[in-house]
Amino acid sequence: MTFGLACCAIEMMCASMARFDIARFGAEVFRPSPRQADLMIVSGTVTKKMAPILVTLYEQMPSPKWVIAMGNCAISGGPFVFEGQYNLVEGVDLLVPVDVYVPGCPPRPEGLLEGLMKLEEKITGTRRFPVPEPKW
Amino acid sequence: MALATKIIEEFKPEFKSVDIAEVPYEKQGYHLAIEARTGNLLNIIDFLDRRDFYIIDLFCVDYQEYLELVYFFSTHRELCRIKVTLKLDPEKPVAPTISNVYTIARWYEREIHEFFGVYFEGHPNLTYLFLHEEIGHYPLRKKHVAVPDHDKKLLNSFKPHEEENSFFINLGPQHPSTHGVLRVVLKMDGEYLVSAEPVLGYLHRMHEKMAENRSYMQFLPNPARMDYPGALLFNLAYVEAVEKLCGIEVPERAKYIRTITCELNRIASHLLWLGAFPADLGALTPFMYAFDDRENILDILEDVTGSRLTYCYFRFGGLYNDINEETFIDATKRFIERMRERLVMYDKLITGNVIFINRIKNIGILEQGQAKKYGFSGPVIRSTGMPFDMRKVDPYAAYGSIDFEIPTGHIGDNMDRYLVRMKEIEVSLNIIEEGIKRLPSGPFKTEKVPKKLKPPKGDIYNAVESTRGETGVYIVSDESDTPYRMRWRVPSYSNLMTFPHLARGVLIADAIATLGSYDIVVPEIDR
Repeated sequence: MTFGLACCAIEMMCASMARFDIARFGAEVFRPSPRQADLMIVSGTVTKKMAPILVTLYEQMPSPKWVIAMGNCAISGGPFVFEGQYNLVEGVDLLVPVDVYVPGCPPRPEGLLEGLMKLEEKITGTRRFPVPEPKW
Repeated sequence: MALATKIIEEFKPEFKSVDIAEVPYEKQGYHLAIEARTGNLLNIIDFLDRRDFYIIDLFCVDYQEYLELVYFFSTHRELCRIKVTLKLDPEKPVAPTISNVYTIARWYEREIHEFFGVYFEGHPNLTYLFLHEEIGHYPLRKKHVAVPDHDKKLLNSFKPHEEENSFFINLGPQHPSTHGVLRVVLKMDGEYLVSAEPVLGYLHRMHEKMAENRSYMQFLPNPARMDYPGALLFNLAYVEAVEKLCGIEVPERAKYIRTITCELNRIASHLLWLGAFPADLGALTPFMYAFDDRENILDILEDVTGSRLTYCYFRFGGLYNDINEETFIDATKRFIERMRERLVMYDKLITGNVIFINRIKNIGILEQGQAKKYGFSGPVIRSTGMPFDMRKVDPYAAYGSIDFEIPTGHIGDNMDRYLVRMKEIEVSLNIIEEGIKRLPSGPFKTEKVPKKLKPPKGDIYNAVESTRGETGVYIVSDESDTPYRMRWRVPSYSNLMTFPHLARGVLIADAIATLGSYDIVVPEIDR
């Protein structure tokens, strides 16, 4: 689903463009309507004002459905957590069930792609692509 | 400076009992300070309005014993920043509204009302703009002040059931063409808009409150998250403000590298817009091309800054690390060459496209005279034919020693805004080229900058030209290691204020085109 919240949304857009090309993995069909989507990528900070809308969108998606929490804000509130904060949902998993967490601020597009692999692995039980070896 | 002297001469006979003081501009970033009182505020505003001053910013500072409203003014012709302050009783803060003179003040006053609990007499619509409905206190007050019951009624600013004959559409907050999570409530008459009312705050991340809880150093990554497409420029605004406040010198080399990287970032941001704007109109191809070029810049910047998007590269007194002479400069030169070729291609692909021209020409016309009322800046004001650019008006970093032109439009429609931005990419390329030629050697940062900064008591306003317009940061220091109050003046906010005016009576598809042409970034508006 096309659901850009904040900075991470730009990296999500990058992931769908020519260089990183999310279409290689058959995941490029971004839908503007939740009724046609089965995966919600929460890319950015969820504020208390946004929370009810996010929940509505999740509920509008037909089952089976999955959620990827992209970026530190969506995972735990990230850099915006401090004592006395008044407008932040500290982690989107307080609102909807999350399947895969992709950390980073923002995560690189490769990170999001790996998140998709992980989700695929979680659904099917097998992994289509080998795990990349870290270079360092 | 000449204007400041003239203003003092004219001001004194008219307002005999009001204090007007000259302020050292190099230290504090503004020229004059006026202390107004509730009784004479409107007369002073009228005095400034007659002299073509526009309102830069309006905000509040809580000094505990009193609340202080701060009005910043300047002119488009010559830089002359004037700070007008008004002290209010914290128990019963009431001030007269200035929104009938300066339309943009309507939003600023609503913002102050919800964050500080200040009431504005005569305000047409004093409802909440940013905050969610469960908020029970005024967040930016230093002490806990509960929201009274009669105020809570104002929380929900939108009541569709009041007018049953109209048809309402919610544009956003989850909508691809609002570039984030902006919500606009559209009142429709068939396909035509009767009125449009933006509702903000879906991405309010409390940056101003956070600043009061963080040390100067710890706040460094935040500005980048305010305006992520143009992260370095916000980073620069903040770093320069603190440097001026503490009196830290910056080496020449660092200034040049700041200029070069900032311009690269500006191109990257304009390219992002170049992809998104035609996409709003239904053309998805430019998106692919623009992102391809943008990736080139990201690679160059990643090499020096270490991140792809939310850069935090500038430090107080210099930079995080030096650029690599060979790789950085070679890559930048290659990019300039490539980009110049690509601009010709974009011209053929987009600018000459008949459908594109027909969709945006003569739509969303802003007049030059409205700039004073709305305070819009950046490409939006330049498209109306006014060459107003902070890089020229108030040169910072190395812009003072580099010669460049300011592209302007003619009538201020969507087409002009498009052309101005395309031209700006070219100008930025020239600035980078010139900057690389003149890049001096030497240290890239000042040694001996203390880790824990404790600036002297005082305030400062510092502005830069970000990709969307005049970006300013105002800091009040109380000699501790955290800012007492930090305020961000963001260009998208005042640019967006013109949208309800432009959207009245147009087709919904044209309104989307106008919204796209502003190049708004929502986290910047919401802060």
